[in-house]
Amino acid sequence: MLSFEHVSYRYPGAADLALEDVSFTVSPGEHVVLLGANGSGKSTIAKLTNGLLLPNEGEIRVGDMTTAQKATIRKLRSHVGVVVQDPDNQIISTTVLDELAFGPENLGLEREDILNRIQKAISALGLEGFEERDPNSLSGGEKQRVVIAGMLAMNPTYMVFDEPTSRLDRKGRAEVRNAINNLNASGHGILHITHDLTFCREAHKILVLKGGCLVYAGHPGSLLNNDQLLGAFGLKVDSNQQRSQISGNSGLLDTLRPVTAPDRRSNRGGVFPSLYLNNVHFTYGENTAYEQEVLKGVNLDVGPGSYTLISGQTGSGKSTLLRVLAGLLKPHMGTATFSDGSKIFPSAVGIVFQNPESQIFAQTVEDEIAFGPKNLGLLPSKEVRGNIVREALDAVGLDPKAFFSRSPFTLSGGEMHRVAIASILAMRPTFLLLDEPTAGLDAMGRAFIHNMIEQMVHATTGVIVVSHEVEEFEPRVQAHLVLREGRLWRL
Amino acid sequence: MALVVPLGQYVPGTSILHRLDARMKLLLLLAFAIAIFISGWVGLLLFTAAIIGLFVAAEIPVRMAFRGLKPILILLTFTFLANTITFSALPASEVAYAELGPYMVPQSISWIGSFGIKPIGALNGLYFALRIILLVCATSLLTYTTSIVALTDALVTLMRPLAKIKVPVEDIATMFSIALRFIPITAQEAERIMVSQSARGAIFNQGGPYKRVKAWFPVMVPLFVSLFRRADEIAGAMETRCYIGKGRTHLRQHKLNEIDLAVGLIGTFTLIIVGILL
Repeated sequence: MLSFEHVSYRYPGAADLALEDVSFTVSPGEHVVLLGANGSGKSTIAKLTNGLLLPNEGEIRVGDMTTAQKATIRKLRSHVGVVVQDPDNQIISTTVLDELAFGPENLGLEREDILNRIQKAISALGLEGFEERDPNSLSGGEKQRVVIAGMLAMNPTYMVFDEPTSRLDRKGRAEVRNAINNLNASGHGILHITHDLTFCREAHKILVLKGGCLVYAGHPGSLLNNDQLLGAFGLKVDSNQQRSQISGNSGLLDTLRPVTAPDRRSNRGGVFPSLYLNNVHFTYGENTAYEQEVLKGVNLDVGPGSYTLISGQTGSGKSTLLRVLAGLLKPHMGTATFSDGSKIFPSAVGIVFQNPESQIFAQTVEDEIAFGPKNLGLLPSKEVRGNIVREALDAVGLDPKAFFSRSPFTLSGGEMHRVAIASILAMRPTFLLLDEPTAGLDAMGRAFIHNMIEQMVHATTGVIVVSHEVEEFEPRVQAHLVLREGRLWRL
Repeated sequence: MALVVPLGQYVPGTSILHRLDARMKLLLLLAFAIAIFISGWVGLLLFTAAIIGLFVAAEIPVRMAFRGLKPILILLTFTFLANTITFSALPASEVAYAELGPYMVPQSISWIGSFGIKPIGALNGLYFALRIILLVCATSLLTYTTSIVALTDALVTLMRPLAKIKVPVEDIATMFSIALRFIPITAQEAERIMVSQSARGAIFNQGGPYKRVKAWFPVMVPLFVSLFRRADEIAGAMETRCYIGKGRTHLRQHKLNEIDLAVGLIGTFTLIIVGILL
């Protein structure tokens, strides 16, 4: 049995406990889902299970070992496999085969044993034929399967997953979900840490973590049907939002009609022109062996005050299209301009990339947010600067007084995310582009994104979301376009 | 959507050179380097023919051989000129003659006063330059026909005996592997951050040196923050799988087959003999 016994943990230098008096167990063959909003202490649990962190109080037992015993820690780790969010940071070898061998090699196993274990792991995760591939050439879902297989080759009794799907697209999520269920079926004890309620269906037991304390332990049914409880735990926010049924129905794609070249005269009359793409082509690595045409004649006409969803599979060229729309890439053929013929420039089109917090660099929140406006020459005086920053903080729901002069690196993940978005809004774009804006966010974070977009659209800013989360955005947008075979299609 | 361009200069192929064990190729390169430094003119010409033959056999366009020479063009020119030019040339009436094979040539030919050229020096310059050219071409041939993974693997296996004198070979091997895996990822990440800062109006190539360096801060700071986080997570993933620097076993045994061994040893032997005799 894997058990937490009255575990408390405080990060060095932190004022509050990250975990307080947490107790639970996972038996072999049991499937436990641990739910919690961002910042509830979930990831700390994952690091405690195999002794990467040691508790300040209480202990974590695996069989007759505890994580605090140095003599048995390697044996304990071979019993508890841990898979975390980002597959890229868990693969250290240059071929899949070497990656799968890494764990068994560390255990000092004989060659025959290593080969046996790798064979089993490969067939358990369906990785036949991937042996000599370079991990950098795999999709997110494939990489995460390699990570899981690498852990499986250690012959663990328990597998701990910490948000293993939050960086993956729909296909990758399904692959990993399948893998987890198969591992459970073959007798492994599973501890799956997530904020995604859809993973609860196959669980035997649900735990809910809030503010570092375990606030719920029980069967999935009684929790999932209780919206009030879910709301109180911060796991569900907009329960009355209708979900569309459109996804997964491949028949619908038969009704796709191409988006035709926009008519310049159709400019919707307003003060601001629309964003206008005419027969845009883009090719990577032109005149090299790696040449690949990604956009093959994209047409688009998006007006201010409109809300458009562009969906498409991984590798369909969504990111390239976004960069063209933001004026960061020049099309090799065709035109990308405003409908009055003027050039696209940053500030007129603001772009929020995936995980925007990864662009944060300044010493204060004020400097961070003022960076864009300053580059664009929008800050004639200190007063204007203060006002723009305050307004942007307001727009993302952060109290300007409290955040103005803080270092962005001391903020929580959610707060950093909002500051990064504020730094784009501060440029007062007429069009706002968002790349997978809800990826990896919990219910609260998602509600914030949807609210913010609604306000922008209301204030006549044109919003384009690029995402594969079709069910989430489809009911909210005015138009849904699909990027396929290098062109845009209307549903 | 980012394009993955492979690291190094490897040109995939199935020629004998591509298939030869990387350790043998390293051994042959070493033997070749020794051979060209002990051989005379005849040997060098033979080796030149051999290198051209190998480029053809490996199906690598010979013009790619010149790519590696570009950076050392100045060095080559200097080597040749330094041997050719003299500032102590004697007038034609006083000059001594030297033997060059069956011919007698003047030791120096005056051009303007004491400034002139030495014919034998020119020949020596050519000889030195050709040696450098051959060495560079042979090295290029190795990197064109061997993937960077196979090459580092070979280096590490060759280093393995050093573990006996407490060189942390396993850790070095792991470091190589991590570096190879994360260089492309880091490059992609830097590009991504650059693009997102450009979208905020950042400009990287304008103004004086101070301004340019300062312009890179918004890229370097997030890049380092992310690298440190990555390093932390990678270390965690390695500990999770019980990594230790020594006492590991190895799945890949890298046994040499007879052909590799034969080609390597006979090749080395031939090179050295030709070098000594010719």
